Amino acid sequence: MMALLKRKSIISFIIIALVGAFLPFFLEGHPSDSVGAPFARPIFWNLKLPASTYFDITENKLEFEWKKFPPAIFSLAGKIEAEPDKTVVISWNTPQKSYVLAELTGQEFYWINMDGRDMIFKQALDLPLIGKSVDHLFPEKGKYSITVEGATFSELKLSLPGKRQGLLGTDQRGRDVFRLLIYGIRTSLLVGISATIIATVLGLGFGLLAGYSGGLIDSLIMRTVDILLSIPTLPILMVLAGIWGKGLWQLVLILSIFSWMGTARSVRSLILTVRESAWVEGLKALGAKKSYILRRHLISETAPILLANIALGVPGAILSEASLAFLGLSDPRLISWGRMLHEAHSFGAFTEGAWWLLLPPGIGIVILCLIFMDIGRYLEELIDPRLGSDKNV
Amino acid sequence: MSSKWFLRRLFSSIAVLAAVLVLNFLLFRVMPGDAVSTIIDPSFSPEAKELLRELYGLDKPLKEQFFIYIKQMLTFKFGLSFLSRRPVWEELLSRLPSTLILMSLSMFFSSVLGIWLGIKAALNRGKKLEKLVLRLGAITASFPGFFVQLVLLMLLARTFPLFPLRGSLSVPPPTEATAIVIDYIWHMALPVISLTLMGFGGWALYVRNLMVRVLGEDYVLMARARGLSEKRVVYGHSFRTILPPILTILLMSVPGLVSGAVITESVFSLYGIGTFLLEAVSGHDYPSAGAAFYLLALITIISNLFADIIYGLADPRVRIEGKNQ
Repeated sequence: MMALLKRKSIISFIIIALVGAFLPFFLEGHPSDSVGAPFARPIFWNLKLPASTYFDITENKLEFEWKKFPPAIFSLAGKIEAEPDKTVVISWNTPQKSYVLAELTGQEFYWINMDGRDMIFKQALDLPLIGKSVDHLFPEKGKYSITVEGATFSELKLSLPGKRQGLLGTDQRGRDVFRLLIYGIRTSLLVGISATIIATVLGLGFGLLAGYSGGLIDSLIMRTVDILLSIPTLPILMVLAGIWGKGLWQLVLILSIFSWMGTARSVRSLILTVRESAWVEGLKALGAKKSYILRRHLISETAPILLANIALGVPGAILSEASLAFLGLSDPRLISWGRMLHEAHSFGAFTEGAWWLLLPPGIGIVILCLIFMDIGRYLEELIDPRLGSDKNV
Repeated sequence: MSSKWFLRRLFSSIAVLAAVLVLNFLLFRVMPGDAVSTIIDPSFSPEAKELLRELYGLDKPLKEQFFIYIKQMLTFKFGLSFLSRRPVWEELLSRLPSTLILMSLSMFFSSVLGIWLGIKAALNRGKKLEKLVLRLGAITASFPGFFVQLVLLMLLARTFPLFPLRGSLSVPPPTEATAIVIDYIWHMALPVISLTLMGFGGWALYVRNLMVRVLGEDYVLMARARGLSEKRVVYGHSFRTILPPILTILLMSVPGLVSGAVITESVFSLYGIGTFLLEAVSGHDYPSAGAAFYLLALITIISNLFADIIYGLADPRVRIEGKNQ
C-alpha cells in the first residue's frame, strides 16, 4: 500500500480528486455567476491594467486617486433620498472635465442604476456613441471624485470592474475561469471514471461469455467487436449525443457503449488460455459447475488486468467527453473543460487573444490523461514485472 | 493475390457496411423520443404534420421504411436537408474533397515522417537521436488533438498571423484559378500540419520497435555479411519485412483518422463533412446527420478495403498462397 503512494501520478491523482471534490464548497457563489467584466485578464498578468475596484459612496462624496488605465466598466447603482422640491445632481469630476451624470427632481426616492456601456448613458453625457465611455470618463491619471448635491441621504456604489480579475481571468460572460476550472475537475473525473468502469464491466461480461461459451456466441460477439472497432466512434457519439440528450449520465452511457470492445478482447484471450490450464481441468474433474468456475476463479483471474484496463481507459473517456463538449454537444449548464474550450473557440476568445480561456482547461485535460496513463502503466508493471525491464526493447 | 483471401476481406467489409446501415437506421428511428416528434414541430397543424410524415415516408410501417431506407442509402438519394432545403447528397458531394484531402494528406505526411524517424531511431540505438524521437513520440501522441490545434491556431493565426483563422477559402474567394488553389493550400496548411504533428509520434514509436527487432534477425546479419550496402540492408531487407505490420496499423488507424478529421474541421471551420455532420446534429437535421454519418462510415470501410488489398500485395504469404492454387 505504501509503495502505491510513492508513485507521483497516484499522489497527484489523489490531490486533484480532493481539490475537485471539496474546493467547490469553499468557493463563494455559483460558477455561472458573472463576477466582472468579460475577457478580464488573470490578476497577475500585466500589473499596469486596473484590477476590479468597488467604492461605497457615503456622505454624498467620494474622492480617490486613479493611477492606471481606464477600467473595463463604469457603473453606479444605489438609492438616493431627497426632498421633492430640491434638485439632486450627481456629478463625476475628472482631472480634465466634469460630467453631470444625473439631474433628478420631484421625488423622495431615486433608484440609480447606470452602466457606462448603455447608449442612453452615452447620449446623456454627450459621449461618442461608438467607442468605450470609460476612455472619456478616465482620461488620465489623477484625482477623481463623485459628488451628490442636494440629497438628504444617499447610498451609492461605484463599481469599476477591471481588466484583471481572479486567478485566471474571466470568460466572455464575465465568469471566473478559476472557478470554472475547479468545477470542471468533477465532470472530467466523474465522466471519465464512471464511463470506463461501465465499459469495463460490459467488456468483462462479453469477454467472459465469448471466451467461456465459445462456438456461435463467441464468433457473434467477436464479429460485433470487429465491426464496432472499424467504425469511426466520434461521428456515432455525435449523433447519439444529438438525439439522445446531452446530460452528464447520458454522456457516460453513450461513451461506455462504444468503449468496451478492447476489454472484451483481452478478457476473452485470457479466458481462452486459462480455460485450457490444468487447474481448471482439475476443478472440472472435481465436479465444479461451470458457473462456479466462472464466478469463483475466472473473474478473479481477470481482475488485475481489468484494474490496469480501467486506468488506461480513463484518458480515452475523458478525451471523448472533452471532444463532444468541445463540439458543443454537451449540456450548456454542465461545466466541463471541453465546454470551456468550446466557448473559447466559438465566443471570441481568438479575436481577444484570450489565452487564459484556452490553456487552463486544455492543460488540465492533458495532465489528467497523463496521470491515468502513468497509473495504468504502473499497474501493468505490478501485474507483469517483465514489462518494467522490457521498456527499451 | 489469393482470390479466396480477397473475397473474405470483401465479405467482412460488406458485413461492416450492413452493420452501419442497420445502426444508422435504428439510431434515428427506434431511439427514445421517436423521429416523428423530433422532426415535426408540435405547433404545426395536423394536416401539415400528415404531409411531412408522408414526405419523409414516416407513415409507413417500420419494415417498409427500412427497405426504402436501404434503397436510399445504396443509391445515395438522401432527400432534402431540413435546414438548407437542398438535396443532402449535393451538399455532401461539395464537401467531400476537403475531407478526403485533409485525411489523405495528414495520413501521408504523418506516416512518412513517422516511419522515417522510426527507422533513424532504430539505426541509432542508445544515441541522443533515439531518445529524442522516443520522447517526442510519447509527448505528441498523448496530447488531445483539438487542444493542440487550438493552441496552434491561437499562436500561428492570432498572435503571429501567418495562417487564416477559419474557413476553407478566403471571403470573398479569389477569382483566378491559380489564386484559388494557392488560397486553398494556405487554408489547409495548418490543419494538415497539426494533424501530422500529432500523428507522426505513434508511427515513429511503432516502426522503431518493429525495426529494432528485425535488425537483430539472422538474415539481416547475413545481408550485411554479404557486403550489401547499408541502404539495401535497411530498406531492401529490413523495411520490406516490417511492411505488412505497418499496413495493419495503417488499417487500424483509419477510424481514428476519420474522427480526427471531424474534429479538425470544426476547429478550423473547414468546409467538410465533419462540420456538416456537426451542423446537422446541432440543428436537428436528421436526414443530413444520418447521411453524413453514413458517408463517413463508408469512407472508413472503403479505405479499410483499400489497405487490405495493399496488404495482400505486400505480404508474400497472401500473395504466394494465391499462386499455388
